[in-house]
Amino acid sequence: MLPIKQSTRIAWAASLGLSLLLLSLPWLVRLDGHSHADWQQFLGRFHPLAVHLPIGLLVLVPLLEVVGALRPALREAAGFVLALAFASCLVALSLGFLLAYGSGDSGAGVSRHLWGGVVLTIVVLICLLARPQWHAKGVGYAYPTLLACMLIALVWTADQGGSLTHGNNYLTQYMPAGMKRVLAFGTTPSASFYARHIHPILDANCSSCHGEGQAKGGLRMDSYELLMKGGKDGAVIVAGNSGKSVLFQRITLPPDHKQFMPAEGRPPLQPEEIRWIKAWIDQGASQTVAKLDGITIREELPEAPIVPVGDYSSLMPEIQKMALGQGAKLKQVSAKPSDGLVLFTVDAASTFDDAQLAQFQKFAPYIVEAELDRTALTDACFDTLKQFTNLRALHLEETKITGSGLAKLASLSHLSYLNLSGTQVTAASAASLNSIKSLRHVYLYNTPAQPAPAATRASQPATPAVEAAQPKEKSAQ
Amino acid sequence: MKQHPLCTDTEHVTNVLDLAIPAQVKQEWAELQTRRHFLGRAGKVLGWAAAASLLNNRALRGDNYSAAGAPGGDSLKFPNFAPRAKRAIYLFMSGGPSQVDLWDYKPNLAAQFDKDLPDSVRGSQQLTGMTTSQARFPVAPSHWAFKRYGESGTWVSDLMPNMGRIVDDLTIIKSTNTEAINHEPAIMLMNTGNMNAGKPCLGSWLAYGLGSMNDNLPTFMVLQTKLNTDENNQPVSSRLWSSGFLSSEYAGVGLRSAGDPVLYLSDPNGVDREVRRKMLDAVNEINRQTYEELGDPETNSRIAQYEMAYRMQSSVPELADLSKEPQSTWDLYGPDARVPGTFAYNCLMARRLAERGVRFTQVYKRGWDMHDNVTKILPIICRETDRGCYALITDLKQRGMLDDTLVIWAGEFGRTVYSQGGLTPDNYGRDHHPRCYTTWMAGGGVRPGITYGETDDYSYNVVKDPVTVRDFNATILHCLGIDHNKLTYKFQGLDQKLTGPVPASVVSGLLA
Repeated sequence: MLPIKQSTRIAWAASLGLSLLLLSLPWLVRLDGHSHADWQQFLGRFHPLAVHLPIGLLVLVPLLEVVGALRPALREAAGFVLALAFASCLVALSLGFLLAYGSGDSGAGVSRHLWGGVVLTIVVLICLLARPQWHAKGVGYAYPTLLACMLIALVWTADQGGSLTHGNNYLTQYMPAGMKRVLAFGTTPSASFYARHIHPILDANCSSCHGEGQAKGGLRMDSYELLMKGGKDGAVIVAGNSGKSVLFQRITLPPDHKQFMPAEGRPPLQPEEIRWIKAWIDQGASQTVAKLDGITIREELPEAPIVPVGDYSSLMPEIQKMALGQGAKLKQVSAKPSDGLVLFTVDAASTFDDAQLAQFQKFAPYIVEAELDRTALTDACFDTLKQFTNLRALHLEETKITGSGLAKLASLSHLSYLNLSGTQVTAASAASLNSIKSLRHVYLYNTPAQPAPAATRASQPATPAVEAAQPKEKSAQ
Repeated sequence: MKQHPLCTDTEHVTNVLDLAIPAQVKQEWAELQTRRHFLGRAGKVLGWAAAASLLNNRALRGDNYSAAGAPGGDSLKFPNFAPRAKRAIYLFMSGGPSQVDLWDYKPNLAAQFDKDLPDSVRGSQQLTGMTTSQARFPVAPSHWAFKRYGESGTWVSDLMPNMGRIVDDLTIIKSTNTEAINHEPAIMLMNTGNMNAGKPCLGSWLAYGLGSMNDNLPTFMVLQTKLNTDENNQPVSSRLWSSGFLSSEYAGVGLRSAGDPVLYLSDPNGVDREVRRKMLDAVNEINRQTYEELGDPETNSRIAQYEMAYRMQSSVPELADLSKEPQSTWDLYGPDARVPGTFAYNCLMARRLAERGVRFTQVYKRGWDMHDNVTKILPIICRETDRGCYALITDLKQRGMLDDTLVIWAGEFGRTVYSQGGLTPDNYGRDHHPRCYTTWMAGGGVRPGITYGETDDYSYNVVKDPVTVRDFNATILHCLGIDHNKLTYKFQGLDQKLTGPVPASVVSGLLA
């Protein structure tokens, strides 16, 4: 252990003092949610600009230290970069504090970002102090550990800051659905109009300023209760009267109006979104009502992603032999074998019966679509079809089925399209389809079940896109 | 010299080497002979290879499996990805429907009646010979009112009350634009991606890439609507459904609008199916020998087409037999649909073809070319087509077919906002207008209930989201699971494709 010099001791003491000052800053000058002097905001708005300098420098430091093992000149530079980073940290922190204080931002997100900045600055300071001793081989792993901590603090603080500017879901909004599922982002939407249509609009357009992170004007819009509670000037929504609702007034002002929302040049809401909000407020601003008069929204439920089927290459010779002959055949959905197979029977429709279908059992897990319309199949076919575990679309129109075996399809967890048009399926047997949660499109045109598709739909609000398989003229009767 | 197998004459063959000609010429001849000999042999080998693939008649029709049977489906190229639409129905409105009077609502034009179209709007636009000598270009607002329909609140002309009812199922493109200003180049460009004849059309590319879904009907069928002589009919020719440099079996097969849907399809008196079969087998054998001799792939096309015709002898009468259609069909399509060759009949037929697995059906309706007398002729043609389009979409939807069928409605260009010839309060004419026109799609792969693209206040220039013909076709291919850059065919030293050499892009704003 080297003897600790006097100057070092002074540096440590000064650093301790500075750290304590930084840590007590949020108590010394409280963020009270009121805006203050304009000059503070003027300077403060340079924070988003200035903040990227320390970020860049801080990422550079560990890099220089590591690469410096090979090229010592680089490691020498690291000390300077670290010092510079510290200085820029102080500047960014000051500007950030001015921004928050000056514009009257408050809220959990702002506090988290502030604390992140403070802690990060202190960690950088300690790194700065520890570095000369590490360089002199005085401390072993302390400095590298500190650098690692610094990086973690940096990423976390930067993420908090990003959420303030862009909103919480900025990074995950366009994440592929599959990835979201794996990473368990997003929750199952409830069936109410508010949850499905109003909340997403507010979340995308308003919550970055009126949310958990910031609550400008004391208003938070990230939950129904907080939205109805309103801001520091009172309620923003008057249930049943959009004209008197401040929220509606502000979003319908001319976009260049001072009080127009979303503020600060963010894009205005879409006309249809405004229409939905108006209808929702006028009809009671309920949290639970599922349907509003005069508003039917096409569900933009993305088609379920294609689940890759297993490897069927050992069956390919047989599939190809079938393709050359007459009668039913299997074809690949696309050039990608894992997209699965389609069963076509159009060339042999009238003679294709249950026994022939049963011969396709060995291909069952690879068939994603079965075009069995106009075949000689009967209700016995469901015993085979229930083994088509990856089936997404099933065509049975104009067959002899009566629907008595439809319940057996319940095991098909990917089935989203079922066409039973022109069969003898009754409303009673069609009701068993309600248990198939993945079903999106059911067609019952020209069946005994046709007069009551509305009942099927009403009993199954969770799958809103089940089509009313009925010509418009008839539904009017 | 080799004799054709059908030729029975014993021809005296002169040996050039015996002639009294200079030795050098003889030498040249001999070398040439060797090369011919070699090429002849090579042709034969190729012929055998092709004959082997004949046994696999699906491979011949561009189907997805090769006879070699590469495991794992290596041979399959198309669709490139899982398609949203398995088939398409293209309602082609030949002549250039007036977007100003049908879809592209411009309420502010009423105040502009008979005022000159500002030069700033027209810019350096080249005009047709029909209006280029006009002294002035007076604005002719649409004679008809528009109404808003559906949840989408889309404006639709009063000329098409039925279309208004299904407007939420349509994807309307107001910004389609083309480079051609006259019918023939424009209609070729729309259909084949090139203004010059000789390139394969969209349907042929699809048949080539995706193959057949039904062995008993052609992959690509064309239905022509019979003429209405009240309208100004521009010719529609088989160039539009030609397979160009692709094998001719990918060409569209037309169904006649009157009488037998396919001429000479039924067997003549005294010829039964068995005799027909034997005759075909013999003809095929001869064709096969010819192919071995000459190696022309068109011979194979001929064999395939004879076989297709044979199968169509039973499939077409079943197709054309509408007696089993329920009353609800006639209620939907209207009384016109009972008359073969009407637009409504063709729409019904298009649905029946789609049900039977025909990949691509194109319905042609002529008569949209209205250089004068718009207020008299446009209502006539709208009455002819409005119900059919509505019925087709509604019918496909109720039968669950709109999920995987793409319907396309388009002409070759639009019409000018200014009047061609005299403008009166009651009548006007409209010239060809390539800079913007309205088209629509519906069904598999496209986003329903939207209007894409915007035009200026005069429906003259596209101001937002232009869609070129290339982009339009690339988007159609995309809906059918095809990457337009991958659907290529080597010809004249180039990888030819429907969208041509200029970069095209799929219009993602149209997709569901």
